[in-house]
Amino acid sequence: MAMLTVENLEASYGAVRALHGISIEVAEGELVALLGVNGVGKSTTLKSIMGVLRPVKGTITFEGQEITNRSPEKIVKRGISLVPEGREIFGTLTVEENLRLGAYVGFKRDRYKADLEEMFELFPILKDRFHQAGGLLSGGEQQMLAIARALMGHPKLIMLDEPSLGLSPAMTDQIFRLIVTLKERGSTILLVEQNAERALEIVDRAYLLANGQIEHAGTAEEIKRKVDVASVYFGDQTDADSCEVSL
Amino acid sequence: MMDKITAFIRKHQTVVLLAVPLVLAGVLISMFGSRLLLDIYTYFCVSLGMVYGLQVFMGNSGILSWTHVGFVGIGAYVTGILVTPPMVKEMGVPNMYPALVDLSLPVVPSILIGALVAAAIAALIGYPLMRLNDFASVITLFATLIVIHVVMTQWDNVTNGPRTFFGLPQWTTWGIALGGALLMLLVAYWFRESGLGLKLRATRDDRYAAAAIGIDMVLTRYLGFVLSALMAGFVGGLWALYITSFSPKSFYMAEMFLLLSMLVIGGSGSVSGATVGAVVVTIAREGLRQVEATINNAHVLSFEVFGLTELVMAVLMVMVLIWRPSGVVGGQELRLPRFGKKKDVPAEVDGLAA
Repeated sequence: MAMLTVENLEASYGAVRALHGISIEVAEGELVALLGVNGVGKSTTLKSIMGVLRPVKGTITFEGQEITNRSPEKIVKRGISLVPEGREIFGTLTVEENLRLGAYVGFKRDRYKADLEEMFELFPILKDRFHQAGGLLSGGEQQMLAIARALMGHPKLIMLDEPSLGLSPAMTDQIFRLIVTLKERGSTILLVEQNAERALEIVDRAYLLANGQIEHAGTAEEIKRKVDVASVYFGDQTDADSCEVSL
Repeated sequence: MMDKITAFIRKHQTVVLLAVPLVLAGVLISMFGSRLLLDIYTYFCVSLGMVYGLQVFMGNSGILSWTHVGFVGIGAYVTGILVTPPMVKEMGVPNMYPALVDLSLPVVPSILIGALVAAAIAALIGYPLMRLNDFASVITLFATLIVIHVVMTQWDNVTNGPRTFFGLPQWTTWGIALGGALLMLLVAYWFRESGLGLKLRATRDDRYAAAAIGIDMVLTRYLGFVLSALMAGFVGGLWALYITSFSPKSFYMAEMFLLLSMLVIGGSGSVSGATVGAVVVTIAREGLRQVEATINNAHVLSFEVFGLTELVMAVLMVMVLIWRPSGVVGGQELRLPRFGKKKDVPAEVDGLAA
């Protein structure tokens, strides 16, 4: 059975309907991607799952229990963690404090030290930067901190919103490698990416979104075979620019 | 064992760095200073206690709180009503409710009750206010101060209205004021470093990200607000027992502005900032007061100079806000520079284990 099931999700920003009935599933241990250009509703889907945005219609089920319309705090405690777009770390707090905050979700003092060590192994740079303010870190380091912060809470499902956004190609490589590492460690991941080709190299399955709907769904192989990914991005002019919504 | 103690002190060295000079200054002034200097020091310690209370909420939540001095006032009035002997109250506050006139408690319980009443009022009005952000929160907290002030000036069965409330014993000495300031320092420092304080600081940095990692912003703010009011009420009692007579205007804009300038100039983000700000503002204020008096006494001008202090404080605050928005100290706690074991930070950062 799927860990996360989203059925017929509709969401809107005021009068603007952003999602027109989206259904996705993520099974335990899977790495699933939501792909699509700007403004098709990828981030909106994540926000709705997280409870930051109240869906208009549809149901969201996590581990067999409905979590639609729950508050973000409650959803986090159930084990879903969102690494938001644009690396929203706490800039005036130190790396240590950022990580500690991530751990508060299910705070167990005896595990904190061990978890930190694990994070240092995954992200050695965080050890060097431990007492520095988060805002002083580079973009890539902030992204790592944001991911590490989410991991500190031992989420059952991690949702990554455009983790490669604004990073150098080298750093993007690192982030993608990290995502693979996380999957190998057993994490369940829902990844939102604009860089569809890169994402399809690493994910198990993917959903391709367009205009608030799912256009294609399938394994990475199927998507690659069925869809000319480039055409989705450049091909038909669904005036992606004019309806671009910065979420 | 020794290692653990050293590690503990090293970790919390900020408290030592702030407390030692404070205590030292007090001891030196009491031994060698003039009566005036000791008065200034005592007043400074009480103000410092108020600024620590303000820092707990405003510094950690990032919400400008004008209400703070109102809670100081509540603490002061409650303490005054409880401590002042019935005979004095009968004379001083002719309209007071008989039940209040008969009350008479020792000093320490009175101060504690004053603090609890301030906290209870904050708890009563705080929850809806904590849901607001940005301008809305500033304006409502400002309005709350006005409401508290109006109640103080109008409820003459309790506060003697706009007239002076007097007759308190002068119980607060420099030592007690210092003790109060140190206690507030510990509470403010503990709160900032505690899980709750950390969560509150996270909501200050980014409330959406804070929600995304499971922080209940309203509740966190609310608890900070109530603690801050508790501290304000406590220091208000100490202040009342030092000044011995006061009126509602002692707890209004001018005083609030002074507290805000202390916190903003020093840097609201840390307890160290609150301390440094209080020192700077007190020295500047007392210095300017002397200048003002000298100019006026010398009669070199055809008019009296007054308001110079406020003017310079305002300019100072504007300057700090332009050039160092996070205050003189800049948001972090004071710590000694680390000796010896500076780690080599690689110049080219390669963050991930391959």
